Amino acid sequence: MSALIEFQNVCKYYEMGDTTVVAADHISFQIQRGEFVAIVGSSGSGKSTCMNIIGCLDVPSEGTYLLDGRDVGGMNKNELAEIRNELLGFIFQQYNLLPKLNLLENVEVPLMYAGISRSERRERAEAALGMVGLEEKLKHKPSQLSGGQQQRVSIARALAGEPAVILADEPTGALDSRTGREVLSLLQQLHAAGNTVVLITHDNTIAVQAQRIIRLEDGRVVYDGPSDAPDAVVTPRVAGTGGGAA
Amino acid sequence: MSIFESLTLAFKNIVSSKTRTLLTMLGIIIGVAAVIVIVGLGNGLEGYITESFSSMGTNTLTASVSARGSTRTLSVDDMYDIVEENSGYLDLCSPTVNMMGSVKIGSETSRTSVTGVSEDYFSIKNYTLSKGRGIQYSDIALRAKTCVVGAYVDMAYYGGSAVGETLRVGGQSLTIVGVIEQQSEELEEGGSDDCLFLPYSTAARLSGGVSSYTVTVRDESLIAEGKAALENALEDFFGSDSFYTVTSMSEMLETMTGMISILVAVLAGIAAISLVVGGIGIMNIMLVSVTERTREIGIRKSLGAKERYIMEQFVIEAAATSALGGVIGILLGYALSAVASKVVAGLMETALTVAPTVGAVGTAFGISVGIGILFGYLPAKKAAVLNPIDALHYD
Repeated sequence: MSALIEFQNVCKYYEMGDTTVVAADHISFQIQRGEFVAIVGSSGSGKSTCMNIIGCLDVPSEGTYLLDGRDVGGMNKNELAEIRNELLGFIFQQYNLLPKLNLLENVEVPLMYAGISRSERRERAEAALGMVGLEEKLKHKPSQLSGGQQQRVSIARALAGEPAVILADEPTGALDSRTGREVLSLLQQLHAAGNTVVLITHDNTIAVQAQRIIRLEDGRVVYDGPSDAPDAVVTPRVAGTGGGAA
Repeated sequence: MSIFESLTLAFKNIVSSKTRTLLTMLGIIIGVAAVIVIVGLGNGLEGYITESFSSMGTNTLTASVSARGSTRTLSVDDMYDIVEENSGYLDLCSPTVNMMGSVKIGSETSRTSVTGVSEDYFSIKNYTLSKGRGIQYSDIALRAKTCVVGAYVDMAYYGGSAVGETLRVGGQSLTIVGVIEQQSEELEEGGSDDCLFLPYSTAARLSGGVSSYTVTVRDESLIAEGKAALENALEDFFGSDSFYTVTSMSEMLETMTGMISILVAVLAGIAAISLVVGGIGIMNIMLVSVTERTREIGIRKSLGAKERYIMEQFVIEAAATSALGGVIGILLGYALSAVASKVVAGLMETALTVAPTVGAVGTAFGISVGIGILFGYLPAKKAAVLNPIDALHYD
């Protein structure tokens, strides 16, 4: 069986005025179903570019990205929207809930775009919110919740669509360490239940919670291996050429 | 995602910012209400004019003769001969002498309309007498100093016992011999019951001659033929067509209603400009709303919203806003029409109903929805093509 996520020499360039910025420089890796992978790197390492490409929000300038065996590079905007809806569940640093909608409605949004009937949507959203322990607050607005609770709603929203990949972008960045740990343990539970989780972070202490770490620097992979290996978090710095973009 | 879901979403957004929505809709509300009131007013006016003209008789022709500069003068007998010769079309004829100047009743002066007429005039106008007798041929032949008054003169100055009394017109004392039955619903000064008729021969001597004739055709359908026959006869008589004019009531009615229609169309057009201005207002607010909701758009896109759904959401929101404005405008238009009916009735002392037409209401509503879609398109397009990555990081 082929890998769920496969990067083959993925490059991404941005035009910044007269100069071309290399944000991803021939990145290659594979992620199998059921893995819990952290993509880690400092600001400008290219991890955000990686996350945008994995999340089908952007396409590579060069190289090939296969998601579930499908080549994302040649897709148009509508096909990208469809594949995001079908295969990906996003968890953002800023939660990104819709403030005017209540929790149920927020969780229902991706299901609505998937064309799922009203009653089934309701059922699945309730189940997802139950899974993250918010079954008591279905009709609350996001602003009535704490940060940790809001992040749990966004996890529920990512889960409701039963995606192939759960993509978490600095999910603990806006939380204090205690609620951050709660969110991380929730991600570990999801992994234990068989989900593929990709965690994007700059924080080594969070990255080590994953099974495997892919470390990026200046748009290149400098480490790809288990998170408990001695050089997983401390990598000798390689002299980089060119700048990186966030 | 169905249209119904887009509609629900649009209404949620509209309801969540009531003040803004109301202000946005204001242009549409005013435009729709103005169009409805103006078209209703035009309608009422047309109805009013049609009614007053038909009460004057649509089977009558009016011939005005101005013999100045002509080698021949048309006498009353010549006119009667012409009508007689064309009896296939023409029926009755009465000279009419409109007299200016006031009527003196005792020590009071009234502005009663005074007309010199023949004995046939009352048949032409379908007047019946409630008291006394009408103008008779003998009155005309003898230039009798008699007159017939309208019900208003009878009631207002004589308390209902005018017959036998005298009044003065242009310095000439006249004896009242009859009273015409009430014509309009209400007796009022200057109304159709505030009138006085005397023999045209008497009136001609007081005012200097007969220059106008009222002629009826045998049937309303013969109005055009009758008019042509009368014109031909007068042209033969004068040897030129520059000494007379023949007008028919139905022709005048057509001209008047035509003018009113043009006037209403122009005014409604001006009012419709407000609809366009309102549409631009909606576009403006929708553009602001797209900017404000950039992050929301980014979130929706990352969750799998296609461009079409974002587009739909904004266009439907714009259309729903202007449609709601249209409905409020229609209600306001009806309310204003009712007020206008009362005001006009008070000012003109006549009943004029401002009646909005179903067509005008339907058109106004359709246009307002159309404007919403038209002016909502640009902001919606702007929202739909936003890059999800940029939109997600927008503050």
